[in-house]
Amino acid sequence: MVVRIRLARFGNKHSPFYNIVVAQARSARGAKPLEVIGTYNPVPKRPTNLYDENPNARPYKEIALDRSRARYWLGVGAQPSDPVWKLLTMAGLVKPKPATYLEKNV
Amino acid sequence: MRNRASNTLSKGKIRQSWSKYNLYNLQRFRSPPTASRTFFQQKWTAKALARAYHGEQVREGQWKRMFSRRIRSVVPMNTLDLAKDDGSETSAGRGSGLKTAEDPSPSRRVPYTNMAFAPLERRLDVAIFRALFASSARQARQFVIHGAVTVNGQKMRHPSYLLNPGDLFQVDPERVMFATGAPKTRFERRETRQLKQKDQKEDNDEAEAEPEQEAKEAKEESIEKKDENVKDTLKALISQAKTIMSKDKSVLPAKRKQELRGFQKRVRAVLSRSATSTVLTDSLEAQFSELTLALKAKRAEPAPKEGKKSTKEQPSEQEAAAASQTENTGDKLSEAFQKAVEGEEVDTSELSDEEFDVLRRALTQMRDNPIDHSKPYSTPWCPRDYMSAFAFIPRYLEVNQNICAAVYLRHPVARPGLAEVPSPFGETVSTPAYGWYLKRRW
Amino acid sequence: MPPRVQSRRVSSILLPYLAPSSASIQPSSCPSQILSRQFSATSAPQTKLRREMFAWLNTEGAALKDHVPGETNYLPNPRNFNETNLKPFPHNDNFISESILSEELRNEIYTRVVKKKRSVRAVSVELGVEMKRIAAVVRLVELEQRQRAQGKPLALPYARAVHEMVPTTRLAEKGERQAWHEPINDLPAHPATGAQIFYPVPESRSFTRVDAGRVFSAAPALENERREAISHPSDLAEDVLNKKPGAIEMVGKGDNAREVLLPADARIPHPHLVKMELDRIAFPEERRQIVERNVKRIARQDEIEKSRREKAEAWRERSIRHIEPEGGRFDFRFQNVEFSKQTTGANGRSHKAPGRRYGVPNQSHKRGVTKIPTRVEA
Repeated sequence: MVVRIRLARFGNKHSPFYNIVVAQARSARGAKPLEVIGTYNPVPKRPTNLYDENPNARPYKEIALDRSRARYWLGVGAQPSDPVWKLLTMAGLVKPKPATYLEKNV
Repeated sequence: MRNRASNTLSKGKIRQSWSKYNLYNLQRFRSPPTASRTFFQQKWTAKALARAYHGEQVREGQWKRMFSRRIRSVVPMNTLDLAKDDGSETSAGRGSGLKTAEDPSPSRRVPYTNMAFAPLERRLDVAIFRALFASSARQARQFVIHGAVTVNGQKMRHPSYLLNPGDLFQVDPERVMFATGAPKTRFERRETRQLKQKDQKEDNDEAEAEPEQEAKEAKEESIEKKDENVKDTLKALISQAKTIMSKDKSVLPAKRKQELRGFQKRVRAVLSRSATSTVLTDSLEAQFSELTLALKAKRAEPAPKEGKKSTKEQPSEQEAAAASQTENTGDKLSEAFQKAVEGEEVDTSELSDEEFDVLRRALTQMRDNPIDHSKPYSTPWCPRDYMSAFAFIPRYLEVNQNICAAVYLRHPVARPGLAEVPSPFGETVSTPAYGWYLKRRW
Repeated sequence: MPPRVQSRRVSSILLPYLAPSSASIQPSSCPSQILSRQFSATSAPQTKLRREMFAWLNTEGAALKDHVPGETNYLPNPRNFNETNLKPFPHNDNFISESILSEELRNEIYTRVVKKKRSVRAVSVELGVEMKRIAAVVRLVELEQRQRAQGKPLALPYARAVHEMVPTTRLAEKGERQAWHEPINDLPAHPATGAQIFYPVPESRSFTRVDAGRVFSAAPALENERREAISHPSDLAEDVLNKKPGAIEMVGKGDNAREVLLPADARIPHPHLVKMELDRIAFPEERRQIVERNVKRIARQDEIEKSRREKAEAWRERSIRHIEPEGGRFDFRFQNVEFSKQTTGANGRSHKAPGRRYGVPNQSHKRGVTKIPTRVEA
């Protein structure tokens, strides 16, 4: 069975929050994973403009990630799901997903 | 939450509010009697009194959970004392310190029980009230719920948010001006109504005009003519105003006032678009009369002194002369002020330095505090009645009134002789109230 | 409706500008104020209490309606009429209306800290203002400047009125000595000192603040060698500042471990002032050297604190990676976390590990648990 790196939804109604987990592909979303290697908060936070020098700072999303564990699991063949792939790309751990593949699956 | 906390006279409870009812209740408050009452009864009364003021908007259960028997206190240290004595002197002898000839100043007691309701001062709504941004804790609460308050730059809609040391909260300045300013008079309310009606009419006119865009080109000529007409009427009005104002300004008879008001109305009719131009003409009347009055008072002050110094026989003559002088200068100043208000160039060469200074101040004041009937409070802004009787800012808040922002520096503390929690009750009430909450009955 | 109270309002429209602190000027009445019902003949039904209230408001209470610029206007205290009344509540002698910073003093603090680059500690000692307050003032003035630049509405007449009603600490004029705004060396009472302890000491032994702190925190008494090394309790402040190993001792084991209570000299905000006083006692003649040495001490302490702050800031910066994708609407902030045996704990449920926990019931909806935000990140 495949080991995947994927998101597991936590948080309440209308306030999503995700754990970035390493889990067996067929296991349930809320089941206990092999490891929790990080979190992802998709609700953007707005800069307050109280102290920021840059007046047009963009809203930001917060991600916590254990890079060494992520690298290890990628090394042993864990497959990131699409959203996690995007996050790992930004973290510089994997190459961007080929465009053709993305287009085909859109 | 329904407001059950009215300022009734029959109950005579003191609330966190600036109303005159509350002021009267505060004035006639007497600490409750203790003779022939059981300890339980005393505590019960004290608790009821104290809770009517402290966090009346908080449910009893909620407050009980907030209550902490630990009271924060500080001791201001004198560095010289610390340097002189490493502590061995105070512990010398039999442990109560060596007796010296001159006894140091008697140490004041720390009023611990006055701090019983300190946890409530952390609440956002109470802090807004303490910073003088709202006229009652209930109003502060409403401001928070209506989204006029930010904490650290983010909108905070929970009045029960407990501020952390270092939190910066800010209230919309317009709301603060509304909460702390005098309410509108009947005259002003009518003005507002008229302004609104006019705005509505304009909106309707515009809505009608929009579909006729094609016919606009044909009408252009007529509009130009209208513009010329407007200019002419304006000029005529201004000249009329000048004749009115060139006459005696300090004492305006009723008829003159009427004329002036009629003039303002007409100007407003002409310049219907911009509310700012009417603002200037409106404020002219009220503010300038005050300006001249104040100037006269200033001039009149030194005059009698001189009279005493020189000759005591003829003080009346000198005073009369001084008065006439001030009148003259007042006239000059009035001219300059009119010119400035009407947007003309002011000839300041005739004015003395002091007068020029006065003129400048008056003009800046007019810019900061204009008459504007679109505001929900009486303009020019002046503080509401009885505000001064309640005006104090505790030390645990640092407030910047210009932007209506404040920083919650730290939690309130007690220090020798002082408790930082503002409370109308002395220790006769606060001690039994603290005792009530010390014992857990729930 | 009762007849309205008709005393004349101090119009703070112009007068404060013209005469900032003199009360000699007669207040002029607002013209719009006279319009209310003067000739109404109908008398509204009134209770006795209401009648009494309006009677009071018309006589004694009339003075409270409007303020005199530069003076407080609180309810008169029946016990003392002569002094300036600083007690807003006549029944509470333990609360006084303390002064606030005047506009000029506030701006002076800002210029000294931001423009002249003085340290917060030095400015605090010069002007007698708490360090926390100085930091807050700098924040607020900065915010005000930004709002002015952005053209946001300000409450200028309101600010002026408040500064007229409330006692203020003025900025000293040139050549004048700046009056201190507040005590700056406040020692917070530690909960450990609440206990009343009977601790017999031989009269021959000197029992200092250091020993008292140890007694309060139930730590064993100091050995003689270490005791002799401490010439004055303020030496411990130096050790704490230098992070000398063992400067902060711990007593107790496991969850019970706590710090040994330090003497007041080390816990006050400005420990260097004690050193200065010691210098003064030791060398009463060398005034200039004492001042110079104090300046050096402040500079050193600032240096140490600044480097620590910068280190912490740098560490935070390093731990968070900012990623700004092109064309996207959002930035991303990646924070480093660690998933290991240490963070997850033996049963894997420790809160140090990243992510929400599995197998732990969620307590967030229980009664008595705070459901609203407890902090707002600036």
